[in-house]
Amino acid sequence: MSDIYLPKLVTIEDVVEEAPFVRSYRLVFQDEELRENFSFETGQFGLYSAFGYGESTFCIASSPTQTGSIQCTFRASGRVTNALAELSIGDTMGFRGPYGNSFPVDEWKGKNMLYIAGGIGLPPVRSVINYSLDRREDFGDITVVYGSKCVDDLVYKSELAHWDERADIRCIQTVDPGGETDDWTGEVGFVPTVLEEAAPDPENTIAVICGPPIMIKFCLAALEKLGFSSDQVYTTLENKMKCGVGKCGRCNVGDIYVCKEGPVYTASHIKKMYSDF
Amino acid sequence: MALILNKTGLDRLIHFLGNDGYNFAAPVMDGGKVRYKHVELVEEVETDYVIPANSAKEFFFPQTETIAEIEIGKTNVELTPVEPNAPRTVIFGVRPCDAVSFASLRAVFTWDFIDESYTKRADNGVIISIACTQGDDSCFCTSVGLTPDATEGSDILLRETDKDDYIIEAVTERGKELVDTYKELFIEADHKAKPIFSPAIPGEIDLEKVAAKLATTDHYGDPIWPELTRKCVGCGACTFSCPTCHCFDITDEGTAFHSERKKNWDACQIDNFTLHASGHNPRDTQAKRWRNRFMCKFHIYQTKWDQKGCVGCGRCIRVCPVRLDITEVMEEFSK
Repeated sequence: MSDIYLPKLVTIEDVVEEAPFVRSYRLVFQDEELRENFSFETGQFGLYSAFGYGESTFCIASSPTQTGSIQCTFRASGRVTNALAELSIGDTMGFRGPYGNSFPVDEWKGKNMLYIAGGIGLPPVRSVINYSLDRREDFGDITVVYGSKCVDDLVYKSELAHWDERADIRCIQTVDPGGETDDWTGEVGFVPTVLEEAAPDPENTIAVICGPPIMIKFCLAALEKLGFSSDQVYTTLENKMKCGVGKCGRCNVGDIYVCKEGPVYTASHIKKMYSDF
Repeated sequence: MALILNKTGLDRLIHFLGNDGYNFAAPVMDGGKVRYKHVELVEEVETDYVIPANSAKEFFFPQTETIAEIEIGKTNVELTPVEPNAPRTVIFGVRPCDAVSFASLRAVFTWDFIDESYTKRADNGVIISIACTQGDDSCFCTSVGLTPDATEGSDILLRETDKDDYIIEAVTERGKELVDTYKELFIEADHKAKPIFSPAIPGEIDLEKVAAKLATTDHYGDPIWPELTRKCVGCGACTFSCPTCHCFDITDEGTAFHSERKKNWDACQIDNFTLHASGHNPRDTQAKRWRNRFMCKFHIYQTKWDQKGCVGCGRCIRVCPVRLDITEVMEEFSK
């Protein structure tokens, strides 16, 4: 198709209610050729259509090691995402992508991985977590620090439970003070604080962060304190986008176009754009 | 001797182009203002104007266009792409500043991903510019390194003469072809071009200094931004009238059963332009939005696409309801 703004049709094959207003869809391309040949890299994103409403941008939340379908996770919060949330298994929606750069997973072979996420920031990190779990032998220690406002808001609850059970991952879950329930067994505290207490060793380690801008900011400070250099820390930004291909003028942070040069950046890059994301 | 297009020649040119399947657009009086519009009769073509109120970008990058028709069933969806309507179009009477802007737009719309809605239309366009013999106090092309008779972006440049006709200069191959095709419409005469109007350079503007300052983020926290832009009301008129502003929205318009996917002009000056669904807004103040627009014009266009982000047409100054003058900001950043 010549038009760069036109979505491909996908069928919703599975729906998971992750948290209040947060849903995951497993999507399969209706076009057979695309279904077989579609490929992407971990960290890339797409634009998802609710037909009759428009498009929203989110990451591809599944790992490229899992083929045949892609997954997305979104919170119903605006016109398009609320319309998407109305859909169910068997319905058609649109997808175009993959867009943007990706996590340099090949460079990370042999490294320890530290994944840090807050709230709805887990989906992009989950893609690379699952990538490293599917290629477990390529990586050293794997640590996940994930938090949300309250227990209910944690996404991928069944996957979190699975990670908890695995001996080859350290999975630390936390909720903000006041967000815990009586049977909560995880930590209570903000992600940057819990991260600092967990004190991961910076030696030969790559940190990947995604979450609200304020959380990213304090986690970058915490990592610096722990001895991580800016080049060891990666994050993924997702600004509002309408085109995904460097033309609509929304996602740029100064002269940096998140859709084309991002969404994956190192902390040294992020520091240069600080005040504006 | 020079090749001349006179009024009779222009009349016949419009007629011939129409017969040959071209659309013809030119400045016309429209609601008390001169605007670029489609024209069928030479009588409509306005010759006495400083600059049309609209930029000429809308012929290649329309305010609104349908890119797909969508039929929405219970579970299935039918999506039919809509080919851009890209007639062969001659735009006559374009000001040289507007002509320059087409290269800027093309650079954005072909940056790795080709926006064929733009390229198909622009590829079918012929730009006939007229050098400026008049201007107003909002014109500032000379401050951005252009001249009122710049040929960049024009296929043919015309110069008004003392005999109320035009000297023809074919700039590009496409321009030469057009002149060749319709050569019987032109006459040879010894008419003299009128002197061009050159806008006064307001204050001290040093574009290199402006660009150098914008190249780092040191100016982000500068109180100069809120001070200079406090009066901005965020209406976006500057962006809609700007020949190089390219921002757009993609959205669906229609019903739950039939919808059209639209590409519509949008404006970085509007407060929800970058607003995230979470409530977070990276450009949450008018100062930041203004800074973004200014950086787009004098830093981003240069570093990303090696093009002019501002052609000095002055429309943003003319249409601004609070008279926020971009040249004052340029002066401030030249210090």
